[in-house]
Amino acid sequence: MADQNKTGGAENFYNEILSPCELFAARSRSHKIPARGQKDFYPDDSEEQRQRLQQSLDEHWNLIAEERVERLGNLVKATWVPSDQIVELQTPAGKFWQTMGFSAEVKQYLLPEEALYLMECGNLLVFHQDLPLSIQDGYEMFLSSDAMSLQQYQVFGHLKRLGYVVHRFDPSSEPSSYVRQLNLPQSRERGGRQLKRKRSPSPTPTCSHTKTPGESLAEKMEDDDKLPESHLMTSAEPPEPQTASPHSAAKGQARTWWMMDAPELEADKRSSPGSPSGRLRWNFSTIPFPDLGSTSRPRCMVPVDTSLLPRDVTVGVCDLDSWMRKINLRKVKMSVKEQQREKHRRRWDVNKDREVQRCRNWAEYHELLARRQAKRQGRPAHLWNREVKPLHDPTQPISTAELLEKISVVKSTNLLEGASRLKCSEEWRICFNVYQPDSVADFKKSNPGKPYSRMCVCSFDGPVPDLRVIKQLAFQSGNVPIVYAVVDYGDISFYTFKDFQLPRDVYA
Amino acid sequence: MEAPPCSQVEELQQEQEHGSSLVVGLSLCDSAPLLWRFQDLKTVRSNSLVGALLGSLPRTPRQNIRLGRPLLLMPEEERVLREHHGAAALSAWNQDAAGAAELRQRYEEEQQRSLEEQSILALEDRKLALLRAMTSSSGSESGAGSDEALQCRLLALEQNFSFPRSALAVQLSTARAGLSHCQEACAFLEADRPIREQDSPRRDARYQVFRDLWGRGFFLTSAGKFGGDFLVYPGDPLRFHAHFIAVCLTLDESICMLDVLSVARLGSNVKKTVLLCSPAPDGSVHYTSLQWSGMM
Repeated sequence: MADQNKTGGAENFYNEILSPCELFAARSRSHKIPARGQKDFYPDDSEEQRQRLQQSLDEHWNLIAEERVERLGNLVKATWVPSDQIVELQTPAGKFWQTMGFSAEVKQYLLPEEALYLMECGNLLVFHQDLPLSIQDGYEMFLSSDAMSLQQYQVFGHLKRLGYVVHRFDPSSEPSSYVRQLNLPQSRERGGRQLKRKRSPSPTPTCSHTKTPGESLAEKMEDDDKLPESHLMTSAEPPEPQTASPHSAAKGQARTWWMMDAPELEADKRSSPGSPSGRLRWNFSTIPFPDLGSTSRPRCMVPVDTSLLPRDVTVGVCDLDSWMRKINLRKVKMSVKEQQREKHRRRWDVNKDREVQRCRNWAEYHELLARRQAKRQGRPAHLWNREVKPLHDPTQPISTAELLEKISVVKSTNLLEGASRLKCSEEWRICFNVYQPDSVADFKKSNPGKPYSRMCVCSFDGPVPDLRVIKQLAFQSGNVPIVYAVVDYGDISFYTFKDFQLPRDVYA
Repeated sequence: MEAPPCSQVEELQQEQEHGSSLVVGLSLCDSAPLLWRFQDLKTVRSNSLVGALLGSLPRTPRQNIRLGRPLLLMPEEERVLREHHGAAALSAWNQDAAGAAELRQRYEEEQQRSLEEQSILALEDRKLALLRAMTSSSGSESGAGSDEALQCRLLALEQNFSFPRSALAVQLSTARAGLSHCQEACAFLEADRPIREQDSPRRDARYQVFRDLWGRGFFLTSAGKFGGDFLVYPGDPLRFHAHFIAVCLTLDESICMLDVLSVARLGSNVKKTVLLCSPAPDGSVHYTSLQWSGMM
């Protein structure tokens, strides 16, 4: 029949076609591969080395030159449909149908890379224009840079030969981040494993506390309620009516109604805090405020000065008893020390304090009290009242772990942080879903379940994936790890990037 | 039918028997140069170009340790071939309708012939098996009687024998059977072939180093996994280990110390010497080897 290199004539028909005799004899071929021996270190032109080399080469050429021979009945026949870039089966599919191919209408189809792999395994015979395709034809027709490139097919073939189930990755079939957030039971998931969506990091708690105003208020109450109201009456200067902030001008006005007539307000703005600002409407020294709580109280009240009352209002005698019943009149039991302290405090006049005198209004007085409080507590104003505050108040308890968190300059992050905002890159995309070999027995194409990993194919000639690409692809993949298959001519290396937490020598 | 995406249209020239002349048929797949024909692989190897096998091995397709055809060439290997006028493009899939019809007819005829021949062979095989079975069972007994019985059996076998088409052994060819044309066509190749990659200084440096080392008789393969450009073998990789990892740099390129350290570390871990190679303007190549030594 046809042999190698029939020379002569205008037409040379070069092929490696076997004669029917050879085809028939192929039944009894061995299926074993000879094992490779030890390699030598250096060529020394010895006969022994030359012989070993020749033997290795001969073995090598025998294996390489061997052609695939199959029984026609064992082969599945198919045709190549170039318009759809798909292979349509003409005879029923074999065992490979469990993990490869798809049906549409009544027919069975294979993707080009699946068909090419089956051709290489000797299971499939693909026809085009009624002629059988060689493996070379398959490579040249099925592989192109748009659908499935040669490098991607190399990775595909490598994994398939190891037994993995490899499918093309379809980004649209992946649940969106919103769906994942909802944590819906995935219909495609096997085993019903819920996706745990990592919560976005909560904003770091601000360490500055603003408890001083409230505290100062409470303290002020504590300070003041022991003092009889008469002390308040005799403040040396009336506090400055106007406060600095414009929005409390109305409040300021409201507070000063007892002081002066409204038209006088203008003049007061300009007056200094030290001097008395305008006439006092009332003389507070002549208006007694009854102190019903003190021990030396009168059982009756001084009648009201009618000049102070509005017209047409009369006031009867006040029944004190009902009011007295509402007051807690129990005497406070104090130790000697406390009694001494109490006496000391009653003697001390807060109005004699210079700093207090400098306060023009209640707001300033509150501030003074807050400052004093802070100083007492070890929170000096020059540290705590500025924009740059200490990270932590040393008097407050804190665990070592939290303290380390506070002082850390570089905060650790996880791979998916900020990944949802990234747009898809043009050059990098996930190519394949890979499922493990031992799942082949109960593998269902309609419901494959969660892949073992996802492949992204690149080469050593090209760029290394940067953080942006890694984040974006990891986000797109969800909870399935991504493996980067790097192709270097004949070799394929697999790399994966894993999240890693730096160990901290702290037990929180 | 639309054009296949990647093959060439030019034809190749007659192949010569001796391995010393380098003419091989290249075919492009997704713009990568592949060799398909067994003779081409042998030729290329005999000229100390290794390449990389990509396909499944026909004998045992489901393993990755030993692969089969096609052979992928590195850009440097392809360039060396072309500069020595050794590469030509293989014929494409025949798109011509008339030619296709002729091929179809030829294929049908061949299949039929094959069926007939194999049928005969199968029958012979069965007869032999029957003979062996009968003579062994009958033992030393021989005579006209047993002969007759034998003849009867053989006749019956022949009459009842059928060789169905499904039993036909067919070949799934690796390389495409093609027509080769005469020598003038080869000259077209150099002009027609598009330049796939832009020539960067790095690429050029790589090629200069490759050519120099290859010219000295070394075998070179790709060394991406070893952090270098080439693995340099003193002899055929089937029999020898690589001695060097060649890292190609241009003469004026500055290299970071960390890179030097990392490649030196790698080299010492895999027991290979690292070679820093730079082509000089006069055509020679400067080599610097890195050796990890202690304080002496």
